[in-house]
Formats: sequence, structure tokens, C-alpha cells
Amino acid sequence: MIEFKDVSVTYSSGVDALHNVNLKINDGDFAFVVGSSGAGKSTLIKLILKEIDATEGTVLVNGFNLKKLRRRKIPSLRRTLGIVFQDFRLIPTMTVYENVAFVLRVIDAPAKYISSRVPYVISLVGLAHKAKSYPDELSGGEQQRVALARALVNDPQLIIADEPTGNIDPALSYEIVELLKGINECGTTILMVTHEHDIVRHFGGRIININAGNIVFDEVIGGANEVQ
Amino acid sequence: MKFSSIKYLTGQGIKSVWKNKMMTFASFCIMLVSLLLVGLCILAAINLNKVISGIEGKNEVVVIVLDGTDDEGIKSVGETIEKLTNISSVNFYSRDDAWENMVADMPPEQQEVFKYAADDNPLPDTYRVTVSDIEKLADTTNQLNGIENVEKVLAPTEFADILLSIRNIFSIVALALIIALAVVSLVIISNTTRTSVYSRRKEINIMKYVGATNKFINIPFFIEGMLVGILAAVAAFFLTMFVYNGLTDIITENPQILNILGVRSLYEFKDIMWYVLGGYVIAGGVIGAIGTIISTRKYVRV
Repeated sequence: MIEFKDVSVTYSSGVDALHNVNLKINDGDFAFVVGSSGAGKSTLIKLILKEIDATEGTVLVNGFNLKKLRRRKIPSLRRTLGIVFQDFRLIPTMTVYENVAFVLRVIDAPAKYISSRVPYVISLVGLAHKAKSYPDELSGGEQQRVALARALVNDPQLIIADEPTGNIDPALSYEIVELLKGINECGTTILMVTHEHDIVRHFGGRIININAGNIVFDEVIGGANEVQ
Repeated sequence: MKFSSIKYLTGQGIKSVWKNKMMTFASFCIMLVSLLLVGLCILAAINLNKVISGIEGKNEVVVIVLDGTDDEGIKSVGETIEKLTNISSVNFYSRDDAWENMVADMPPEQQEVFKYAADDNPLPDTYRVTVSDIEKLADTTNQLNGIENVEKVLAPTEFADILLSIRNIFSIVALALIIALAVVSLVIISNTTRTSVYSRRKEINIMKYVGATNKFINIPFFIEGMLVGILAAVAAFFLTMFVYNGLTDIITENPQILNILGVRSLYEFKDIMWYVLGGYVIAGGVIGAIGTIISTRKYVRV
């Protein structure tokens, strides 16, 4: 669950990134965050990951009050999240298997659990045959699926997808969002930031539109696939 | 942290040495050169110190026994000298020995004249004494002067002062050089590891996003840095052995240099090799590990 209460962010450069934002995303929701460049989408993500702190207001994420969260406790917050980035951010010196397993090693998971869970998650994103490949041996779409598997492997309460389709072919983009939808149907909350309106129109659901640091639209709309 | 995690992180550290071989090689070379410079400088310093100590040890203090002292009195002087604290060796040199040696050093025609004058030997009985610590020479001379039946003490106090000055200046110069080299080496090593870590900042960033703690991120870097440091230390040890043995061979094969320095005035490498290896491994391991941790701090901080 994510909750923003009267949140404002002003950077040290003087730029006002968010103004008095109030937002609640409940457990099990799937929400698109849309908006033009510089609208405040990235600031929203940075706040959730506690890369930055709100200048004013309160941010609650998965039961953590980020204003009161000590720096050394940030890893505990991030372990409740799965994160998918536009540029995949896989560790280039690790194989697909190692990249996904790394998340479980970080949380000190038992070796037996790792050896059963990782192949299962890799097969869920359809890459069982690529488990021993390195990231640079994969296509963009495949790398993003590995990133999805990594986000999914520790069974997080919330997955943040920051422009996950930005670096891949349009056809593959739909495939990635389908995968995210499938994960959401299993109960995981998904927050997907995108500027690709076609995708938003196609899938529909809750749309949060940010403009100049303000939430200007927050409603549920039906997707084209639902109409069809 | 579980044993399996420690095992995994240690393995990652070891693998990283090979995976980042170019940066590993750069760090290895810098550490090797730095360790060599500091190590050879320290070895030169301890050897020069030993040479100076050797020269100091050759300086004899001559204790002249009062003319007319009986055998019992002469023996008592020797025993009293031996009981003093700063004494390294005591040798009795009788007036007869002194006369014989003096005559032996004369040209043959003079020897003929002087051998008939042996009964009128004017030379005194003496003790030739060497001191352990030349810095305490003045005190020891005073103590020797206070012994009963001692007429006079001849001590090379001026020469001792010169040696002490040389040793003090040398110690300060050597220490300053070693400290300067160590500081320069640390700065270069720190910059090299920083470059190595910078090239992997994205990797560290990803680890942070998936919830890795600072400790979890640091351990492989720590192991990697330590391992590179130890490898450089072992290489530095063998190079030092090669250079040191080469130099000591040149010195010991050259009688002129050996005469100045004295036999056994240099340490043999086999006698100090374990100290050299231990020093290098500890310095290499610690500098490698700590240098890497300092360099990762900026990127690891969540």
C-alpha cells in the first residue's frame, strides 16, 4: 500500500517537483502513472524508493513511514518492493539465474529455496532456456523479462515499474504489460510509470496523470481490450 | 549473516578479481610498485642502521691501569669493568704485549735497538673495552675513571658524537622518506581502487535497489581488495628477494666495499625473509581492503 499525504518536494536547486500531492494506492491495485517529461513522475518514484525525502507531508509505503525511516533501515523497505527500470539494470557480470537469485541472497534466503524458486520464476517469464546467458546475450525484451523475474522473485507486496516498455519494441511492450497484469491478478500491487498513452488506452484501469507536480487526473477507465 | 551467505560473498569477491581483470591488474601493479618502494626503503634503512652500529662497535675505550699496580689489582680492575652495564667486551692488553707489538711494528734497525730496552718498558697495562650503546659513552667513561687503580680512560668521544649525529640525521631522513612514500602510495592506491569501483557503480546501485545492505555490498569488494593486495605483496616479496640478493652479492664480492662496511654488516635475506613476507602481506592486505572500502563508501551509501 502506498499513501501520500500532502506531499511536496522542492529540490535544492529551487525546482518545485511536487505540490501538496495526496494519493492512495491500495493493496492489489494496478495503477498507471502518466505525464509529460518533468511532470514529477520520477520524483514520485524516488520518494517511494526513499532516494529522496519529501520536503513536506508524509509518505507511507508497505507500512513504512518514510519520514521516520532511518537510513540503515532503507534496505528493509526495498526488500518489500520489486523494481523494474526502463534500462533493465541487470548486473552485467552475472548470468540470468545469478541476477534473479541475487535478490534472494540479499535477504539471506536458504540455498534450497533459492535453487527451487529462481528456476520457477525464470520459467514464469518464459526464459528457462536462457538461465545461463549473460544480459548482453539477450534482446531488450528478454532483458526486461529478466528484470521482471528479479522484481518478482522475493514475492514483493508492490512492484514499481518505471517506464518498463521504454527501451523495447512496441509488440514486446504489450507482452511485458500482460506479464505485469498477470502478476497483479495474483495479488501484487503494481505501479507502472509510462508516457506511452497507447498502452494505457489499450489496458485501461486506474490512471493517475501528473502535470507540473500536481495530480490532475486520477480515475479508473476501461481499456480497449476490455471493449473488444 | 548465514554461513552460506558469507561463503557466497567470499566467492563473489574471489570471482571479481578475475571478472574485473583489467582494473585488478591496474590495482595490482600500483600496489606492487608502492610496496616495493616502501619495502626496499625500509630494508635499506635497517641495513644502514646496522652498518652504523657495526662501526660504533669497533670503537675501543682504552682503560690505563695505574703504574705499579700488582697482579691482584689489575685483575680487580678487569672484574669491576665487566660488572658495568654498558660493556660489550673487555680484553686485557699487558704492558709486555704492548711493547712486543710496538717493537714488531718498527723497522728492523730500530727493532735491534729497542729489544735491549725491554726491561725499561714504559708502556702501561691496559684494558680494551667496547661499549654496547655509544650514546652512553660519556657515562661509562666516568664510571671507568672512578675504578680504583685506573690512571686514565681514553675514549673516542668526538668520533662517537659524529657517529651519533650521522645516525640521527639518517634516521630522520629515512623515516621522512618512508612516510612520504607510504602517503604517496596510499593516495595512488586509493585513486586506482576508486576508478575500479567507479566503473562498477551501476552494479552497486542495482544492489542497493534490491535491498542489499552496505555490509552485503562491501564484503565482496573487501575480499577482492584484500586478495589483490596479498597477490601484490607476494609478487613484491619475490622481487625484493631478487633485488636484495643481487645487491648484497655485489657488495660482498667487492672487498673494498666490504672493508668499509665490515663483514656481516648486512642482514642476509634468509634471516629476514619471514619478516619481509609478513610485513608485505599485512600491509598489502590491509591497504587493499581498506582502500577499497573507503572508495566504495561514496557509492554504497543508500
